[in-house]
Amino acid sequence: MRSILSMFAKSPFKPLASHMDKVRACVEEIKPLFDALEGRDYDAVQKTSELIVKLEHEADNIKDNIRSHMRQSIFLPVDKKDFMHLLSAQDDIADAVEDLAVLLRIKNLGVPEEIKPALHELVNHIVKTAHLGCDLIYELEALLEASFGGAEAEKVEKAAQELATAEWEADRKQFKLAQKLFALGNDLSAADLLLWNETIKKLGAVADKTEQIGKTLRIFLSQ
Amino acid sequence: MDLDTFLLSLAVIACIYMACNIGANDVANAMGTSVGSKTLTFRQAIMVAAVAEFIGAFFVGGHVSDTIRKGMLDPTVFESVPYHLIYGMISALIAAALWLHIASYLGWPVSTTHSIVGGVVGFGVIAGGMDVINWGKVGQVVLSWVVSPVMGGFFSFLVFKFISKSVFSKRTPLVHAKNLLPYMVFFVFVILSNAMVYKGLKNLHLDLSFGQALAISLIVGALAFIVAKFLAKKIPYNDSWNLQKQFHETENVFKYLQILTAFYVAFAHGSNDVANAVGPLAAVVAILKDGQVHMKVGMPTWILGLGGGFIVFGLMIWGAKVMATIGEKITEITPSRGFAAEFGAATVVLICSKMGLPISTTHTLVGSVIGVGLARGLPTLNLDIIKMIVISWLSTIPFTAGIAMVCFKTFLFFLA
Repeated sequence: MRSILSMFAKSPFKPLASHMDKVRACVEEIKPLFDALEGRDYDAVQKTSELIVKLEHEADNIKDNIRSHMRQSIFLPVDKKDFMHLLSAQDDIADAVEDLAVLLRIKNLGVPEEIKPALHELVNHIVKTAHLGCDLIYELEALLEASFGGAEAEKVEKAAQELATAEWEADRKQFKLAQKLFALGNDLSAADLLLWNETIKKLGAVADKTEQIGKTLRIFLSQ
Repeated sequence: MDLDTFLLSLAVIACIYMACNIGANDVANAMGTSVGSKTLTFRQAIMVAAVAEFIGAFFVGGHVSDTIRKGMLDPTVFESVPYHLIYGMISALIAAALWLHIASYLGWPVSTTHSIVGGVVGFGVIAGGMDVINWGKVGQVVLSWVVSPVMGGFFSFLVFKFISKSVFSKRTPLVHAKNLLPYMVFFVFVILSNAMVYKGLKNLHLDLSFGQALAISLIVGALAFIVAKFLAKKIPYNDSWNLQKQFHETENVFKYLQILTAFYVAFAHGSNDVANAVGPLAAVVAILKDGQVHMKVGMPTWILGLGGGFIVFGLMIWGAKVMATIGEKITEITPSRGFAAEFGAATVVLICSKMGLPISTTHTLVGSVIGVGLARGLPTLNLDIIKMIVISWLSTIPFTAGIAMVCFKTFLFFLA
């Protein structure tokens, strides 16, 4: 027997947070990945990389599940398209981390001494930026409770701005690292240069995709 | 057994069957939001519903009965054949109860009110042709079915926007909720007690003027205000709590309010829906008394008691089962949202009952929930329910009218 309570469909916001949990778990592996690379522990690189691929796959499953439950007759307090955009942004973060993991496994890549400080700085900053994005998603529940308005909305607005600034800084750090990399000239093989260049781009992509979360949440607030 | 005793017994049994179905069918809808938000356990919900439904039915239930009994048909047509009206009313009861029974199994959100209206229209057409039906009144009733969910939605939208602005938007939502609590309690108590004493205590022969009733309800409200103020002071608050923690504690404040509105909804439901069971019985009893069709008959207290009693019986026997299943399901509604939806719906239902308009409690509540959703208060809503409701709107009246026609024909065949 049913009742009018069947109108309370399952909220897609909770699975969205669960999806973010997996994305966050992927992000947490970025540092161990680069640490292992620097320590020339290629077994650990392999293992961490495999773990990331597995986590990304788990995130994909949650994503597919959310998508299949988004039926036409579901009514959300936000635009359905924006919601899907948010989900895609989260998914893109995990994808970027996975690409990173695959790139670093192609060959046993060495870390040139000259780029180490800038690489550290970039990796740390990227992880920090991704965390800001995760925290924003974890605010969603409170944001729902506040109906996307009031003090909670101001808090989220501020956090989204902070995230935008972090992304901008990430771009700068990415540029600095690229400069250091290309300054190496012929000391680096063409293959290594290519791989490192790709790696830097993918690190930047993590921050770029994270910023999309902030942008989408600001759209939620403006409705 | 002579014919009169037989007919009276049959009418009483049909009324009991209808009342049980009303209790079983609607209690889950009326109490569902409270159980869904975990404000009440399903046992507590049953207790609250039982008490409130009975009080509502017994004290306020008389108003709508008139519309069911004589608003929609022209009773003068039956002056020469008063017993036909008896057969008809029993047929209407059987048809409506049967439809509710089926709908409960199918899980269709049908309205008990629509069912009985369909039954009355059905036998009326057979007995006296199309002219016997007061189509203007029927049209008015049908219109109210569309209007009442819209009103419920509008009311609940406003209530939710109000608590959203005055509590959940603030930097210290818990402090604001604590301050607001006594005023909310005051309002609920004033409306509830006013509904009960103004014209309500007719059965106890306590006829109060609106002024007197208002004075009494204001006093009751003020007392409730003082108690609530005292209780609100006891709710702990710490400056260091962040917004999340405060939101959580604020929802606990709304739990208290939602217990009140759960009572309010069940009360309004009892007052509105008991008429669907007792209206036809009262008509039967009046005719059996002196064999004449009266334009105006009173509602005997024992009939209201019977109706209220068996609504409670129905909800305890059957409704409890439905509630238990709901309690196990996790629903995405918090006490503040449940409060807004219930407060809006119950107020609309009560106003309509007082005006003698038979409306659907279930559909008003659905409108209210959608209203809260439109105010961006709910994480998600499944709008398939709207389709179901429209289907039930279109199917209820033809079905119950059809069954009532068949029953009525059967009566005529055997008894006339």
